[in-house]
Amino acid sequence: MVEYLSTQWCEKAGEALRKGLDPETMKFITTSVTYTYNNCSDGGTKFFYMKCLNGIVEEAQVGSGEGPAAEFQIIGNYELFAQLSQGIISSHKALMSGRLKVKGNMVKALKLASLADRINKTLSAIDTKY
Amino acid sequence: MNNDPFFIDFPQRVVRLQTLMANSGIDVYLGTRLRTISWLADAFCPWRSYIVVPASGRPTLFTFVIDASRIADDSWLGEDGVLGYAPLGGMDQIGAISDHIKELLKGKKGRIGIEDGMSSYLPEGNITHYEYQAFSSALGGCEFINAHHLVDGLQLIKDIGTINRFREASRIVDVGHHAIFKELSHGGWKGLTETEVAGLCALAMRREGSEWEWSFTGGNEIASGYRTGYAGGACTPPTRKKLFSGEPLMIDIHAMFKLALGDHSHNYFIGSATDRQLWHGNNFVAIVAQTLKTYRPGITPCSLAEQMLAYAEEGGFAEYMVPGFEHGIGMLGDEWRIGAHDGPFPYWTNPDHLYAENEVLVCAMQYACPEENIGFRYENVILITKDGCEPLSKFSLGVEVIP
Repeated sequence: MVEYLSTQWCEKAGEALRKGLDPETMKFITTSVTYTYNNCSDGGTKFFYMKCLNGIVEEAQVGSGEGPAAEFQIIGNYELFAQLSQGIISSHKALMSGRLKVKGNMVKALKLASLADRINKTLSAIDTKY
Repeated sequence: MNNDPFFIDFPQRVVRLQTLMANSGIDVYLGTRLRTISWLADAFCPWRSYIVVPASGRPTLFTFVIDASRIADDSWLGEDGVLGYAPLGGMDQIGAISDHIKELLKGKKGRIGIEDGMSSYLPEGNITHYEYQAFSSALGGCEFINAHHLVDGLQLIKDIGTINRFREASRIVDVGHHAIFKELSHGGWKGLTETEVAGLCALAMRREGSEWEWSFTGGNEIASGYRTGYAGGACTPPTRKKLFSGEPLMIDIHAMFKLALGDHSHNYFIGSATDRQLWHGNNFVAIVAQTLKTYRPGITPCSLAEQMLAYAEEGGFAEYMVPGFEHGIGMLGDEWRIGAHDGPFPYWTNPDHLYAENEVLVCAMQYACPEENIGFRYENVILITKDGCEPLSKFSLGVEVIP
């Protein structure tokens, strides 16, 4: 079991995404996304950044602060992301209720929505301590 | 050099607006009016849309997400310049646009130009009270300045690409008029309703490439019999009323070509006409011809009205003339007043507006005699030329009896 958003979790996340999602499943997309976690247990902000090139997850990073600039930024409270990862709440509901905020081109985001679900599903399979 | 006769240099249009913004100390222009959005984005935006013009660089259009991809395809702004909004976190119109403006202002508190006011034209699109409050709250510390006059001033004189689009829209309207005349002739009118006439005109114009019958007044306005003569009236969405012999018929049809608006109204008598009806018709044709001779640079709406009403008085039909001779026209959404908001009544045409070369307007005249169930309408998009005006619809002026 690894701690959520730790370096070990990030390594496992990158590995799981590369193994679990082949370029075809990822529609050969090139994009980047930064998940920004507010109100973490220490009261601060953390991020998980992911970059995808031609459908292959090339880079995964975690750290403190808002994180690198990316094509999309998904912002929410740590607790909410934890619930999303455990399947307690759906991303759709979180977005529609305004608890999760997305920054970026919405039309492009809609095209990638199904891929985001696949990514979340893959990440949720990591044995994680929240 | 672009050889497309309908080419409009939109980046240059944006730069001209940005120059005026800089002169007025405006950092970001938040356009909400349909006329501004059509004029800057060159795309039909039927949903509530917003165009954010930065101090330099390309504007960004925000529209309801269900139509964003289509508009991005139609507009020169492209995929990165047309963003969708929706009721999702961070993607609602207030949130997404405020975030975008904050990025443009780079953390500073800026001056934001907005479009406030009122209009008789329903789809005008001024900022709403709610939007104003919500943007003010989201962009705390920014100053909001009503700045629509910047766009209005730039829209007044048309460039050659815009004029050519109007020519084409008017050509299409003429095809509609020829088609419906043929359709109605030799008893073809028997049994037809106003709505059917509207549809037949629309079909002919669509075959020529018209994008729609753009007018919010029911598309193609068709009136027959007493409906042609509403007192002071100039708005007749078609009804299920059938055409009858001996009645007047008003055919006021609209075409759109690349957001330029064609608008021409022609009048007939169905089957037969009495001498009295023909007298009315001749009066109307005479005053329209006189009006078209009178439009030129330097004349004003007020002086033209005075001259024409004097002409009608001499002819003994002044009581039948609705005392207005024009309405504004531009790319879709610009269909109301003429000139700047500098007249005695806010947001109405300034009666002392001086027409200038390369202005485009609609010569719009209405003759109404409700007590005799008769009326006529003339509308034609006209271009103010160096020493007169050019009616862009070439359909012949007259009030004919359709056999």
